[in-house]
Amino acid sequence: MQKKLSTWFHPYHAWLFLIPTLLGLLVFRLGPMVAASILSFTNWNILVKPKWVGLNNYQELFSDPIFREVMINTFEFSLIYVIGVIIFGLSLALIVNSKVKGVTFFRAAYFTPVVTSAVAVGIVWSWLLSPHYGLVNIILENVFKLSPPVWLGERSIVLIVVVAVQLWKMSGYYMILFLAGLQDIPRIYYEAARIDGANKWHSFWKITLPLLSPMTFFVSTIAIIDSFKNFEIIYTMTQGGPSNATTTLVYSVYVNGFVFYRMGYASAVAYILLIVIGIITLFNFLLKKYWVNYQY
Amino acid sequence: MKVFQKALIYALLGIIVIIMIFPFVWMVINTFNSEESIFKVPPEIIPDKLFKKDMFENYITVLRDYNFLRYSLNSFIVASLASLGQVITCSMAGFAFARMQFRGKNIVFAILLSTMMIPIQVTIIPEFILMMKLGWLNTFAPLIIPSFLVGTFGTFMYKEFFENIPKDLEDAAAIDGAGPLSMFIRVFFPLSIVQTATLFIIAFMNNWNDLLRPVLYISSTKLMTITMALTQFQSQYGARWNYLLTGAVLSILPLLIVYIVLQRFVMEGITHTGLKG
Repeated sequence: MQKKLSTWFHPYHAWLFLIPTLLGLLVFRLGPMVAASILSFTNWNILVKPKWVGLNNYQELFSDPIFREVMINTFEFSLIYVIGVIIFGLSLALIVNSKVKGVTFFRAAYFTPVVTSAVAVGIVWSWLLSPHYGLVNIILENVFKLSPPVWLGERSIVLIVVVAVQLWKMSGYYMILFLAGLQDIPRIYYEAARIDGANKWHSFWKITLPLLSPMTFFVSTIAIIDSFKNFEIIYTMTQGGPSNATTTLVYSVYVNGFVFYRMGYASAVAYILLIVIGIITLFNFLLKKYWVNYQY
Repeated sequence: MKVFQKALIYALLGIIVIIMIFPFVWMVINTFNSEESIFKVPPEIIPDKLFKKDMFENYITVLRDYNFLRYSLNSFIVASLASLGQVITCSMAGFAFARMQFRGKNIVFAILLSTMMIPIQVTIIPEFILMMKLGWLNTFAPLIIPSFLVGTFGTFMYKEFFENIPKDLEDAAAIDGAGPLSMFIRVFFPLSIVQTATLFIIAFMNNWNDLLRPVLYISSTKLMTITMALTQFQSQYGARWNYLLTGAVLSILPLLIVYIVLQRFVMEGITHTGLKG
């Protein structure tokens, strides 16, 4: 019945509307993806012509101890980040979900670091964490009489410090997602549970968490993708150092491609990055059926 | 709710607010410090230049002598044009996806959505080579064109919005003889003010805050964006914290003002449109 009136366009009009998008998709997304895969089999430093080297780049990657460290750093960063945003995001959401006056102010305040650039955040925290005049160490030394470490200078802790700063910046975003999930849970479940004698602790484990699981799944999917986007914070706080302790795949692409000008090698790193994200996202989807419930 | 419980919640809310906001407050306070007093241990709560004659000296120095006025302007130009492009491109694509039937629609949309999870580092090397071949290195073009042309989340948002507009409106306009262009420009697009404002703000923030593209493409100081300028300043004069912090404050101030004024918009927009796009 709708066919009669829908004659205001021809199908080719739709393609006209899509011209910019298709152009962008081909030139800036699909094209470069194909080009990067080809480049990853070459040796190229921009100045001379690219030379086909087959799997050499990949072989070099897998035998390079630095690359092994980069992989470990990447997984460590992502794992801490994803678990961290789920715990902090959910905790913040539970707190700002309370029905007290002025709670919207607190929501907005917790969201502020999200709208701030990672560069500014990196600068502020580098300053707060600096060894002698940084506020964090001044407080730890003079108030708590501790001898704090050089936060951004010690290999054993620097990665955790950088992830912590990124968590601090992004938790507010995940708070808003979890808050939307919490507000979708029908109140009637809580009332029924209360009548049956359940306390808050029980309601949280037996009602909130299971009914929130679709949102938790959505959050984990977004957080996995997001956990690889750590270039800005690393560039500003540590430049991948000290001695590669905070170099992740994303940062490694930048260093190999645009500091060492090894375009082929950097493309191989980029492809490993793509494969890693693909595998982790796939795992997340496969594991979904064991913990996500959709019944309400 | 019991008084005790309420007090506990406020205490918790207050502690977290300090953790989330205090770093910024402490930074702003210290932009009114001179270079000597910023290193004082223990630090002074009241900075030495506050309410003095040369109170804004750090700001004036950074804006004028270190060219941050110029950098802010550059960032403003880049971010405005890129966001304008996002609005045009995404609204057109969203309209086509929502209101037109054509073969291959689902495939194109699926490809568009699936490219969302690809980090920019995967495509940046070929993109850099392309920009080099085009002779666009050290211009604003590579900072603007890529986000001008394609936007996943923006398209998705417009598609959702246009899909929910009743068919009657479309039919009425069709009877009045509206073609595809006027259907879009006169009928549908004007309804999407909220979506357009949201997308513009979010795209503006993402482009303002971007670091990788400026670092790769811009080499002359005159064209640097403010985030890039900050990182350059940091590596050149790392210990001049009074100026560096002032620069950082200047880089977040415009976005912070937008956020405070249009808080709802920004929060919902970022949540709906995802992180970057």
